[in-house]
Amino acid sequence: MQEIDTPLHDKPAQLAHTEHSSYAPHALTLLASALLAACGGGGGDGPPGGGGGNDLPSAPGFNNFPKASTDNEAARFLLQAQFAATPTDVSTVRAGTYASYLQQEFAKPISTAWAWLEQQGYGADATLDKYVYNNAIADMAVWRDLLSAPDVLRKRVALALSEFFVVSHSSMEIDWRGHAMAAYWDILNQHAFGSFRTLLEAITLNPAMGYFLNTRGNQKENASTGRLPDENYAREVMQLFTIGLYELNLDGSIKKDANNKNLETYDSDDVSQLARVFTGYDFDPTYSPSSPNGLQFPGQGYKVWAREYARRPMTLNASRHSTLAASFLTTNIAANTDGTAALKTALDTLFNHPNVGPFFGRQMIQRLVTSNPSPAYVARVASAFNNNGAGVRGDLKAVWTAILLDDEARGAASLTDTDFGKLREPILRFAQWSRSFSGKSEFGTWKLFDLSDTSSSLGQSPLRSPSVFNFFRPGYVPPALGITAPEFQLVNETTVGGYLNYMQSVIQQGINTSKKELAVVDFQSPYTPDFVANYDSLIALITNTGTTTISNAEPIARAILTQLNTLMCAGQLKDASLTLMINALRDGMVARQIKASSSASQRRETVCAAILMILACPDYLIQK
Amino acid sequence: MYLLQPHKHTRRAFLKRAGQLAFTGAALPTAINLAALGEAAAFNAGNDYKALVCVFLYGGSDYANTLIPADAASYAAYQTIRGTTGSTLQNGIALGRTPETINGVNLPGINSSLLTPLANGEPLSALTGQAAGLQYAMHPSMGGLQSLFNSGQAAVLLNCGPLVVPLTKANYNSGNRTLYPVPPKLFSHNDQQSIWQSSSPEGSTIGWGGNIGDLALNSNISNGGNSLFTCISVTGNAVFLSGDTALSYQVGRNGAVKINAVGSPYSFPTVGSAINQLISPTGRSHLLEREYSIVTKRAVDAEGAITSAIAPFPSTDAPFSTFPTNNSLSDQLRMVARLIAARNTLKTKRQVFMVSIGGFDSHDNLMSDHARNMDRVSSAMKAFHDAMVNLQIADKVTAFTATDFGRTLSSNGDGSDHGWGSHQFIVGGAVNGGKFYGYAPPVSVSSTSAAQDQFHVGQGRLLPTTSVDQYAATLATWFGVENSDLSGAGSILPFLNNFGGSLGSLNYAKDLGFMKAP
Repeated sequence: MQEIDTPLHDKPAQLAHTEHSSYAPHALTLLASALLAACGGGGGDGPPGGGGGNDLPSAPGFNNFPKASTDNEAARFLLQAQFAATPTDVSTVRAGTYASYLQQEFAKPISTAWAWLEQQGYGADATLDKYVYNNAIADMAVWRDLLSAPDVLRKRVALALSEFFVVSHSSMEIDWRGHAMAAYWDILNQHAFGSFRTLLEAITLNPAMGYFLNTRGNQKENASTGRLPDENYAREVMQLFTIGLYELNLDGSIKKDANNKNLETYDSDDVSQLARVFTGYDFDPTYSPSSPNGLQFPGQGYKVWAREYARRPMTLNASRHSTLAASFLTTNIAANTDGTAALKTALDTLFNHPNVGPFFGRQMIQRLVTSNPSPAYVARVASAFNNNGAGVRGDLKAVWTAILLDDEARGAASLTDTDFGKLREPILRFAQWSRSFSGKSEFGTWKLFDLSDTSSSLGQSPLRSPSVFNFFRPGYVPPALGITAPEFQLVNETTVGGYLNYMQSVIQQGINTSKKELAVVDFQSPYTPDFVANYDSLIALITNTGTTTISNAEPIARAILTQLNTLMCAGQLKDASLTLMINALRDGMVARQIKASSSASQRRETVCAAILMILACPDYLIQK
Repeated sequence: MYLLQPHKHTRRAFLKRAGQLAFTGAALPTAINLAALGEAAAFNAGNDYKALVCVFLYGGSDYANTLIPADAASYAAYQTIRGTTGSTLQNGIALGRTPETINGVNLPGINSSLLTPLANGEPLSALTGQAAGLQYAMHPSMGGLQSLFNSGQAAVLLNCGPLVVPLTKANYNSGNRTLYPVPPKLFSHNDQQSIWQSSSPEGSTIGWGGNIGDLALNSNISNGGNSLFTCISVTGNAVFLSGDTALSYQVGRNGAVKINAVGSPYSFPTVGSAINQLISPTGRSHLLEREYSIVTKRAVDAEGAITSAIAPFPSTDAPFSTFPTNNSLSDQLRMVARLIAARNTLKTKRQVFMVSIGGFDSHDNLMSDHARNMDRVSSAMKAFHDAMVNLQIADKVTAFTATDFGRTLSSNGDGSDHGWGSHQFIVGGAVNGGKFYGYAPPVSVSSTSAAQDQFHVGQGRLLPTTSVDQYAATLATWFGVENSDLSGAGSILPFLNNFGGSLGSLNYAKDLGFMKAP
């Protein structure tokens, strides 16, 4: 088994053991110096102090391409680091370095989903209980963040985190479930630029997670009835949230024993023993139905939880906490250890396991950049996780910086690899379209719900994974492809059409919502279009040409598609694809005599047709 | 000799066996070049039709509340272990004998859902391999499957799970994984789902449903059908239906999705034509781009045939209109029923389907969740069987269940944890129904050397006494797969040859006998 030193109880974020790697330590130190200059040190969650990012030094494999020299290079970076590459953001990136752009994003204040729900009145109305059992308000709040929040790097990596630390609406049958999911989303955002260790504890005690993976209400063993602790969280926190199934090298490769068999990280007994640590927790009773804070709505014969519980950490009831010793991995927690101390030891143990850097780091690379990162890329990111250069382990800012400034993400060499990149997941395609064209809810009511339907919608919706195993697994191999491509787990003959048909409708008409001017969530007629995209700058390219001929439609079609190529594809459309699109749009314009004097709807349709070709094109769908 | 060798169970191994090395993995088999498979498809049937339908219960179904030990001694043990029914104080997860209401769910009690085998002497006890006066009830919400069992249209397979070799508990505890290998990553959801479906953990690309499909491709091709419709999933992507050459083709619950963009989007036919070219894999060298375009192209090409074939069998017409509503599994099985109804148009003779339902990971709320879930499973499978009877094809269609794993018999308060062996159902007119197969495990959670403790590996996690390979082999044999394709190097079921003998008093037959002769 691996060696894990005794966790440092007073400084959980500090390195607890010597690094295994010799990878580019000078680079890490320099990385850290830049990061620390910006954040005030320590990887905390506080706001950065500004400055320092512009001169982030390079190292082998890292930050050798510090600046965007073209709009397409800037767009490529933006489409990995956030959802869209608007001309404004492209200009900002080109005005500085990639590192300085990240610094600006690290410095942005957080907007929370909880606050928006409150602002919209989804919590305050004491006469209506309709939002106690409503998931849709969390869909709305999260979509609103993804499509419009200004702290966009934070939202992008929070989405990635939500696909690693998975909690899903799918079985969230608790009071104020929308608030609970919003609170979980807020936690991911709150700690997205902070410490992995702090984040790990926050999600462990979060009520939505507590319900989803059954820590909530988990009781100690009972010898007389044979009852045993619930093992769900103990298993998944190891398998999915920290160390994974197999011992890993720094570069993410699996360690082998003398017989060349994979070394396993834990066995069933580790799970059973760790499960004892997670007993005794429940929602904060201060807000329970039977507490003075419990709510009774008019006309109801029962009380419900006060919604505040949904964002409070779960609390420990010592009488329900196991007093048995817990021995797992290489840690022994003595019998009768205080529950809070036991939790701290357990989470420190997991956090300090050498697997976390490569296990977490590789999956974050997959989410942001490429499905099959090289071992060296994984090692660079894992090293940044292990040590931001100032002795701080688990500094997530260091992880994002290492991923996004890596030469494989920034350099042109990877653009010609036939297996570099990843499938843009449907949520990203949708958010990109919306942000690229100023799509937003007209009245700010954001009535955008579950878009998971595979036959008629995106086939994916944030925080709606079918299980804790996410929408797709990091090791998913499409049978006919033979290489890892996680997002392809969502690709089949139904979803490819469901997505395209949905987008064909919404890019032209927007999204029909019920009573878009009212905050109230209902499903009453009439439905009218909201989230209508603004294509004015593209429509303006359609000039008056007299008779629309091939020769005068061609430059218009070329101008539209050239702009879209940078905006949506970072210039990654192949020449042949671009030519095919230009010719099709040109010929279509000629056939219908599209020109500036054409009707507004005809000109809009022309732009929509161009966008639809992009959205359907594999050059776009695979982000390089 | 027993080492797990998933790499032996690969496309290459199959191709070598089939003498088809001209097919390389990179050649990305399509419907067109499948004809080259020649006589690899060894189905000798005449003009008949056959289908297998895998009903996968995602999350790991709780075995002990699916089939409740109902004879007096077993029930007493069950009730002791699972707590007093419905009592918050005792945190019971035991079902009662008589009607009760638990967490607002009305349960009729297991006395009303007893299983009555058509012959005496069942089920056999795992302790002796002999009849021992044991009795089971189905979960009270499973009236549909109960009636099918009692009328001989459904069979129960007891304690089935992934095994590499037959194992006693002593073998398991020995830790000698050379002599006594166990499936990798036991108790892990995603890996055990994959192992049930493909004999290998997550990342596997070839499932046994797909391998059975491989052998059926030629039956459909020679019948004038599209081999793409051999393996059809009405649920999400799963490895089960991916074969060496057979593809897992996906349809939605309401049919194949037509892609409008290749038509005349926004009244621009030239744009539709361009999109049709953009989605073509031809000339694409980037592997991911190519893969996405292959799926999209296939969707465009296949949709019309499916849509027109099922059009005469709308959901609103009998027998499809009587499937239960608000039940995702029912929606999927109705689609399968419509596709089977359309078999003459589609010119299919051998098909393997997959449907699924989730929500079985009952760490909490077992009493309410399991009741709801098993009601959905039972009512959907009953409706499906009834539809097959109506279509006069019931003896050619066999539906069977599978799940990640069984769960613990021990309670964690209001639920159970990840286990291993579980009980399964096989439904259809060709099933030797009204019977139990496999062995009834003793109702025990203690870990002593006593005989009754030798069939679980802790907390009542069942040590399977029947392997998934035996289960699959029995289904595949009925379907028409030759023995020579079932076992041996590079075969469909890599561990089947480890079975066929006995261990202690238990038989590990390669054919469990729950299907009538093909």
